[in-house]
Amino acid sequence: MFQSEIYAWGIKRRAYLYLVPSLLIFLVFVLTPVVFSLTLSFYNFTGFDANIFKEYVGFKNYGTLFADKYFWISVRNTIYFVGASISIQVAIALFLAIIIFIGRFRLSILIRTIIFFPGVLAPVSVSLAWRRMLEQDGVINQILGMNFSWLSSVQLAIWCVIFVSIWQWVGYNLVIFYAGLQSIDIEMLEAADVDGAGWLTKITRIIIPSIVPAIVLNVILNLIGSFRVFDVVYVLTRGGPVHNSEVLTTIMFYYSFSAYGPNKMGVGSAVAVIMFFVVILFGVARILYMEKRGS
Amino acid sequence: MRRKRKPSGDRTASYGISYRRNPGFFILTRIIILVSVIVILFPILYIFSLSLRTEKTMYQDTFFIVPKAVTHKNYIAAWEYAKVRLNVTFLQMFRNSIICTVSAIVLAILFASLGSFSFSNFKFKGKELTFTTIIASYVVPPQVLLIPLFFIMKRLGILNNYLAVIFPYMGFSIPIATLILRSFFEQIPHEIKEAAKIDGARDFQVLLRIVLPLAAPAIASCIILLFLETWNEFIYALVFLQNPEIQTIPVAIARIAGGKFRLPLGTYGAAIMITVIPVLVVFMLFQKWFIAGMTMGAVKG
Repeated sequence: MFQSEIYAWGIKRRAYLYLVPSLLIFLVFVLTPVVFSLTLSFYNFTGFDANIFKEYVGFKNYGTLFADKYFWISVRNTIYFVGASISIQVAIALFLAIIIFIGRFRLSILIRTIIFFPGVLAPVSVSLAWRRMLEQDGVINQILGMNFSWLSSVQLAIWCVIFVSIWQWVGYNLVIFYAGLQSIDIEMLEAADVDGAGWLTKITRIIIPSIVPAIVLNVILNLIGSFRVFDVVYVLTRGGPVHNSEVLTTIMFYYSFSAYGPNKMGVGSAVAVIMFFVVILFGVARILYMEKRGS
Repeated sequence: MRRKRKPSGDRTASYGISYRRNPGFFILTRIIILVSVIVILFPILYIFSLSLRTEKTMYQDTFFIVPKAVTHKNYIAAWEYAKVRLNVTFLQMFRNSIICTVSAIVLAILFASLGSFSFSNFKFKGKELTFTTIIASYVVPPQVLLIPLFFIMKRLGILNNYLAVIFPYMGFSIPIATLILRSFFEQIPHEIKEAAKIDGARDFQVLLRIVLPLAAPAIASCIILLFLETWNEFIYALVFLQNPEIQTIPVAIARIAGGKFRLPLGTYGAAIMITVIPVLVVFMLFQKWFIAGMTMGAVKG
């Protein structure tokens, strides 16, 4: 808006001075650890070591990791988790947002607030609540009239975790969608009415195309959020039964910090490095995508 | 062309399906939303109801929710359990969380305002690169930094100290706050700042007296966004605060209710509710700000 005047104060040394506090924190507690973590995966060390760089092992930590079948399960589960949160969760949120938008709800604000509110609670508290409910004598089985141990199921445990995560964050996506829906031109919908268009046509031809930016935003947010998910898995299943619901973050924690784990921080660092490069890959993909769209 | 609308009001009522023209569809939307609201509310209502039940009526409830007899004893039991078994009081947990959250947020916003002021007012070498690097760190999962940070904290001698989480929380908060504040600062008309300078104000006074007060809404959404992130943060607190006396709420509650030992149902529910109720109260008080703050942060990101 005031582009020409923004930098009117010109080049001054003070400019750096204002940045010093931020940069100091950033350098010491973000950038250094990132650089640090890239090298750590080549060493063998534990949390008790004073000198962690004493035993160079090359790619051995990666070898250990790739030989662990539960690492591959954690990769699979992370893909499930990310995949579900960018597809199922976004789809539910979009669906509900459109229903609320076209439904003429008198309590629209209240409804949105209620669906949103789990997002402000601590994932730990939410997971503890669900853990009790999903137990064999828990209320979910009472309601369904079943006697199934959800969180001890090899196949279903990870999906229970994903369900709880979706339960908690779907409202967040919904609120973003709803904000996007505010920008829809009502006159266009009215014009479609004149042409005799049904709701399905209006939704697929007008409403959804006009909130593509909100869809992209939600997909990116869920991508970032679900890739780093830890609390829900840790509290609900601890990665169990027997590591079958581990994700990358929890298997990293298991290798490095867990009291029941092997205390091999080098292997944990290898997981961290892999996670870091996956993020970089996503970032590059996003930039390429933006450039392609821009040109 | 476009119709002027109320910014946040219930303007949807002006367009949409009507019962008269589309009764089936109209009722269907009601059912869908009713079911969704029930699915969302049920777990919290259920845990709340558990926390109020007497031991005798623990399994005698109506619709899984409404207890037959109500007591407050579970809350006392949860309090006692934490104190006796795990040597930590809920008061301590809250104190720890408040100390960590408040210091991290206040410092992060302070530092970020200084930085954003620089980004929005000055021209200097490497500006956009610095900015982009800071912002890009937002996508790095916190777990990537966990092991290196552990050793950095150890080296700095602040492991098992509030500082061990405050610094990383700041590290993650500053990028978010800088992103929001810079774009807001840049919208403040330059004339206002220039006028103050002509009146003899220094840069810093311009920031303090003019820019910050004008940026109050942006700072409010920063506070809410960062509050949720730091208050609920788990893994750093879990690893860096191993001493029970300084653990924050998420870690302490995970230890109290998440251990191998099974608490009595009522106590379990009460322990969870003690951590949930304060956040719920804050959320209800500042409800509009929360949604605005969280979506604003998201849109800017």
